[in-house]
Amino acid sequence: MYSVKYQSFVKSAVIAAVSFAPSVVLAAGGKESKGGLPQLDLTTWPTQIFWLIVTFAIAYVLMSRLVTPKIGSVLENRASKIASDLESAKAADAEAKATFDSYEKALSDARNEAAAQAAAAMAEAKANAQASEEALAKKLGTKIKKAEAKLADMRSEAMENLEDIAADAASQAVQQLAGIKATKAVLGKHIKNAAKTVAPQEAN
Amino acid sequence: MHSPVKQFTIEVLYELSLFGFDISFTNSALFMVLAVIVSTLFLAVAMRPAAVVPGRLQSAAEMMYEFVADMVRSNVGSEGRPYFPFIFTLFVFVLFSNLLGMLPYSYTTTSQIIVTFAMASFIFVAVTLIGLIKHGLHFFSFFVPAGAPKPLYPLIILIEVVSYFVRPVSLSVRLFANMLAGHTMLKVFAGLAVMMAGAGGVTAAGSLLPLLAIIGLTGLEFLVAALQAYVFTILTCMYLNDALHLH
Repeated sequence: MYSVKYQSFVKSAVIAAVSFAPSVVLAAGGKESKGGLPQLDLTTWPTQIFWLIVTFAIAYVLMSRLVTPKIGSVLENRASKIASDLESAKAADAEAKATFDSYEKALSDARNEAAAQAAAAMAEAKANAQASEEALAKKLGTKIKKAEAKLADMRSEAMENLEDIAADAASQAVQQLAGIKATKAVLGKHIKNAAKTVAPQEAN
Repeated sequence: MHSPVKQFTIEVLYELSLFGFDISFTNSALFMVLAVIVSTLFLAVAMRPAAVVPGRLQSAAEMMYEFVADMVRSNVGSEGRPYFPFIFTLFVFVLFSNLLGMLPYSYTTTSQIIVTFAMASFIFVAVTLIGLIKHGLHFFSFFVPAGAPKPLYPLIILIEVVSYFVRPVSLSVRLFANMLAGHTMLKVFAGLAVMMAGAGGVTAAGSLLPLLAIIGLTGLEFLVAALQAYVFTILTCMYLNDALHLH
């Protein structure tokens, strides 16, 4: 059994050998010519055909085994390198996009949280301020009431003392002017009446 | 004065023979060997860095490879892949033979009809065999163009068969004639310049004209050297495509 590769090699070799037949026939029938073109000197044909076959065969082996696979592999490497570079560039681009998106998301999250916290703090501060204001108002209110009550007490006390002082002063004045000894009870009655007419005016 | 075709003379450098055949190592053989050595060295040295970002030399080698690869891909298709190394070798061999021939005192192997005919006939027979192996007897439908009126069949088939068998001749003569004509023309103008310079007087001053013509022709010959290598290779691709895909 021949391998497929061996068979195809044999086929190619047979094709090549048969294809040289016209040249060999030409070479075999060589005759010397006198004058004219050197190309038509048939005696030179066999050697030229022989060396053409030898050199071309060597060239074919060199080109098909050494040169074309080398150039082909370099070109293939370049194509695959470009393709892989493009792919990695695409991947990097996608990664950058994802990073940017997550950064954007983190930023907006932080912004929302900050806004919420600020609103909560504001509300708390407002509530605190309101509460303390109310407490203060309450405290001040009681203080004012107390002070007013005290003031009213002091006033009524002062009024009573004023009646006594007025009665004393009036009895002494009467004694010295008229030499009459006015009783306190009589005087007190008059003074009370007088005070009653004055007091409303003062209260205003 | 030397004959302008003397440059094509085969000179034996080392006498050899095999089974009665003369296989002497000649100037023609020397330049075939040089074409192989120079082309392989050029491509090997250029690809030595094997860099992802190629330098100037490596770019040149890669461009040659991709030029031939594109040619095979667009003219033969994916079925042409197995033949790529052969077609690449053919292009490189013909190109370097043509270009080495442009060096002064060198020899242009592709100016030998037997060399170009040996290559062309090899390609012709090989391509025909590939077609026969792939398509069997159906291969002969290649000579019957589709849609042709039946009464014209004998004429058309005759024309198709003749044009098919003329292929190796036209392929080899095209390359050979271009090299022969170009190099002969250069020698003719060079000989003219020397002759006029030797005549003296006004004619000597006029020798500048053929000299200028040589400069222009040399540039043209470099173009022809590359172009004919390309034409030879692309026609090979087309013949291969015909054999693989018929019409």
